[in-house]
Amino acid sequence: MALLVQVLELSHFQAMTLFAFFTSVVFAFLSKNAWRERTRYFLYSFFLFMVVGMGLGWLMFPFPR
Amino acid sequence: MGEAETTKSVPQETPARAAQAEMRAWLLGALGWAVPGLGHLLQKKFDRALVFFFSIVPMAGLGLAMGGKLYRPPFDWSLGMFANLLHVLAFLGDLGAGALFFLAQVAGLGHSYMNRALGDYGTVFFLGAGLLNLLTALDAYDIAAGKKD
Repeated sequence: MALLVQVLELSHFQAMTLFAFFTSVVFAFLSKNAWRERTRYFLYSFFLFMVVGMGLGWLMFPFPR
Repeated sequence: MGEAETTKSVPQETPARAAQAEMRAWLLGALGWAVPGLGHLLQKKFDRALVFFFSIVPMAGLGLAMGGKLYRPPFDWSLGMFANLLHVLAFLGDLGAGALFFLAQVAGLGHSYMNRALGDYGTVFFLGAGLLNLLTALDAYDIAAGKKD
């Protein structure tokens, strides 16, 4: 079973993008009913996830472990 | 007089019928928790059902494939109250993934902690999938209970 652990290698940016994508899609469908509104909400949420994620990354950059 | 006529014209819901509707709403919410999107599928909300299933399941699968850890009892009290509380909350979040959580347990996935960033991301992916699934289950309940369109 150990072979099944960590079969995927993603960069930090790819992982963040995937997380932002799936979460934004679900948020959009949970909170809006019309397709146009869902699309707008998805784009807005995805954009905020990415911008805030990268912003926090840069803020933490001067403080490595 | 007018008010009395209005009251008469509105069909009254019997307590038994209301209890039945409430039970159905809880059941659909529970099914939505067990399998992502199932609560919506049974209410013919096909677009939501498909999107929830094909978002939450891949998210949980990606988390496991990245080497994420699943939180589970027993809780280690030697870590202190705060760390233990976080462990309990994370377990509840993972449990939100419903059948996915139990399938992963049965398959022996998520038992080992990957001491690297991607393993942590995987843990958060699965936790995120669980929390999103809880939201979709509540949404299925709300729709069935008539609290939402």
